[in-house]
Amino acid sequence: MNHAAFLLPAWLFVIGLYGIITSRHFVHLIGCLTVVQSSTYVLLLSVGYRTGAGAPIFADHPVGSPAVDPVVQALVLTDIVVGATVTALLLALALQVHKRKGTLDPQRLRPLRP
Amino acid sequence: MGASGIRTLSRSLCDILNAVGTSERHGTNIVTLVNFDYRGFDTLGEEYILFAAVIGAVLLMRTHRGEKTSARPGKVSEQPVPLRTDAVALGSRPALGLTLIFGMYVVLHAQLTPGGGFQGGAIIGSATLLLYLGFGYRTWRQVMPTAVLDPVEAFGAGAFVVAGLAAMAAGAPFLTNLLPLGKTGSVISAGEIPLINIAVAIAVSTGFAVLFVEYLEETREPDAGDEE
Amino acid sequence: MDFLAPLTVALPLVVAAILIGGAHLWPSQWPDAVAALTAATVAIMAVFLAGAAAKAGPLVYWFGGWTPRHGIAIGIAFVVDPAGAGCAAFVAVIFCASFVFSWGYFDQVHARYHALMLIFLAAMAGFALTGDLFNFFVFFELMSTVAFALTGYRLEASALEGALNFTVTNAIGSFLMLAGIGLLYGRTGALNFAQLSRALSGHSADGLVILAFALLIGALFIKGAIVPFHFWIADAHSVAPSPVCVIFSGIIVPIAIFGAARLYWSVFAGSGIAQAQLRPLLVWLGTATAVTGGLVALMQRDVKRLLAFSTVSHMGVLLVGVGLLSAGGLAGGMLYLLGHGLVKGALFMVGGILLASCAGIDEIELRGAGKAFPLTGIAYALGGLLLAGLPVGLEHQGRELIDAAAEAHGYAFLAPILSATGGLTGAGILRGAGRIFLALGPEPGEEQQSPSEEEREQQDRPVWLMLLPIGAMLACELMLQAFPTEAAVRVAAASFTATGSVVATVLDGATWSPPPAPPGVTETQMMGPIIGLSVALGIAALELGRHHFPRNLVRVADLALGWLFSALDRLHNGIVGDYVAWLMLGLLVIGGVLAIG
Repeated sequence: MNHAAFLLPAWLFVIGLYGIITSRHFVHLIGCLTVVQSSTYVLLLSVGYRTGAGAPIFADHPVGSPAVDPVVQALVLTDIVVGATVTALLLALALQVHKRKGTLDPQRLRPLRP
Repeated sequence: MGASGIRTLSRSLCDILNAVGTSERHGTNIVTLVNFDYRGFDTLGEEYILFAAVIGAVLLMRTHRGEKTSARPGKVSEQPVPLRTDAVALGSRPALGLTLIFGMYVVLHAQLTPGGGFQGGAIIGSATLLLYLGFGYRTWRQVMPTAVLDPVEAFGAGAFVVAGLAAMAAGAPFLTNLLPLGKTGSVISAGEIPLINIAVAIAVSTGFAVLFVEYLEETREPDAGDEE
Repeated sequence: MDFLAPLTVALPLVVAAILIGGAHLWPSQWPDAVAALTAATVAIMAVFLAGAAAKAGPLVYWFGGWTPRHGIAIGIAFVVDPAGAGCAAFVAVIFCASFVFSWGYFDQVHARYHALMLIFLAAMAGFALTGDLFNFFVFFELMSTVAFALTGYRLEASALEGALNFTVTNAIGSFLMLAGIGLLYGRTGALNFAQLSRALSGHSADGLVILAFALLIGALFIKGAIVPFHFWIADAHSVAPSPVCVIFSGIIVPIAIFGAARLYWSVFAGSGIAQAQLRPLLVWLGTATAVTGGLVALMQRDVKRLLAFSTVSHMGVLLVGVGLLSAGGLAGGMLYLLGHGLVKGALFMVGGILLASCAGIDEIELRGAGKAFPLTGIAYALGGLLLAGLPVGLEHQGRELIDAAAEAHGYAFLAPILSATGGLTGAGILRGAGRIFLALGPEPGEEQQSPSEEEREQQDRPVWLMLLPIGAMLACELMLQAFPTEAAVRVAAASFTATGSVVATVLDGATWSPPPAPPGVTETQMMGPIIGLSVALGIAALELGRHHFPRNLVRVADLALGWLFSALDRLHNGIVGDYVAWLMLGLLVIGGVLAIG
């Protein structure tokens, strides 16, 4: 592993943002937001990676055998929860907007604009 | 140079945890030990992020529909409720039991193997959708009345804080483990970690169930009609 | 005394769970009382903590008893310094005021509102007290999640659209912060602030550290509404319920700037990020924010939207104070944060009274509608004058310290600019006060129809109960000057910026030696208040008396300035994709300037 491991999160981040900026439908936009977020998963996991090491779970291999960083894995769990909650709330909002306006196009939904 | 390509100054925290975690906390899954003990306070916040999101989503959806109408089954607007085929019902019923058992397994082995309260809770929460597929809307709503789900979810969230406060009552810092650590590798080991995982699993699974109910209700018209 | 530190977070969390658990059992008004009492208790605990920390140095509290081993932090620590605890106390006081203000507002939702607000309070207390980078993120995210849900509460189309824009932009902020944390952890293998600071100091800041810093600061600037990260703020703040706006504008936005200061001094101060680049970057971003916010605020006719943009402007001033990177400037910023929070909270409460009693928030439609509420009108005008630079109160004291620090770093020319931007926001508020409460200005014509939809907040609440917290907050702003608040804040700023001593206390348990406090301001400069007040009164009078001027003169003025205002209006277009593009541009600017240095 080398710097190439960071090209993937960078790519996911940029492509997700591109999707958000050009999106014409909020559900698509929420999907793109999830893509941006997955870049943080990949980043965190590659930060903690060690060549040749196993999982930091010593149920079937002895303590002391090389293992990747458990801390970033714990952080990713929080990250996943954050992603799930943000998506749930956004979809709830999008549902309500669609009921009232009949559209989910960000270009046509402009708060406090006629 | 670390394996990931970043010039690493220190790996001491990760090395300490991997080296002493198991002997110190009598658990083999270091990730769970980090999540529920070394950095348990983060996880408490994380649980409340989920809790707050569920309260928020309910606020956004149920308040608008009216608290009372949520208790009644309704019909989908402008489209008939799709009929379940027998095959779906027949497949879902055994799958429900298996999924529930698998979820509980994941929760209870948090300190031993990959998994924990969040993952298991999500599995158990999803199993409630199989209830809907296998037994129909009415049964599904009867088995999980929202008046019960809300308090149970609050209990799961609150129990984590209470565990922290209990340590303070005993004179130790917030979230210090009070229970005996047990034998490494057994289901009942690692002190409070299994209990906290169960509390988290309760909060997460009921939280998911509440969200499923609210989202499905959103697609239905409030007046009671024929069902399936 | 240490044991109070976790309780400031745990108490509101457990009360929130109890409120939800028995949601259908509580008699009405019970949740109001329980929530207000809880907030008051948190405030008292935080005051005790601040007092103890001021005496004995930062209190370090290790959760789960996981103390550092050989100088390596294992668990999560709260590092309670006077500034953090003071911030938590201030937050709790504003929450208490907001709960009193919203008494009876949220009867219909079975305590869900109160539970969310208590979780909100816990998140901010934790954010102010934590000494751990990831814990900082968790509380930041908890704040955001609650804020997303509360914004859409009114469930009208505009509220939901505002909440969508708010959620998308701020969720991106969270991901930026997480990426920054990941990079820093990769470099240092640590998450504890003190540990990070020790690991980074003595090394030159390479691209990775600069990138991590830019990501973290950018995330906080999104929440802190710094130009060009600010676009979401008006969409969210103008649609959220007023008691929530009090928290949004009064605390959540400024506390993000406080968080940026915390990150800089706790982690990056010794990291080799050149002050020579960082100081001008922050100061100019702050100035741009102050000017933009002031100009756009002036254009608004929706009172809450106006107040939201005035918050943007004041955050610019706060950022200038922090961005001078000196203890004196920071002390000024902290005082300014207190003063601004009290005044802005009171002003949003006035907006709430208008929504409840007059069923509207549009300045032009409400012309003369406030005549029956003279006290409310006085409070609104007083708030406007204070924001414009009336030379009394905490906000003024903060400005004086910021001006002194700016002069010390060669930015003396900024003082009149910042005063003028304060005047711009004051002008908008005074114009509104004149129009709504005194029926000044021209009669609204047909073409003046409001673009916003019909809205009204829960009525039938006694106006005196809503005026009570307004009066209390304005009184605090004016009276706290009599107490040695200013000196206490300077001491707090000194220990906030004493990075080395804090690191030694946290990791090695070294004894605390209090650093010298930055000097106070001895002679009062009257130039700032004069500029601010004359801009405010002058513009307000010009706008209200517009119809008395010769038609041609007005047309020339419109031609001269119209392009600027219409350009600014076109930028704030409500399209979330554009907002995201702007915040990426801002991130590139921050990263680029720091990388070139």
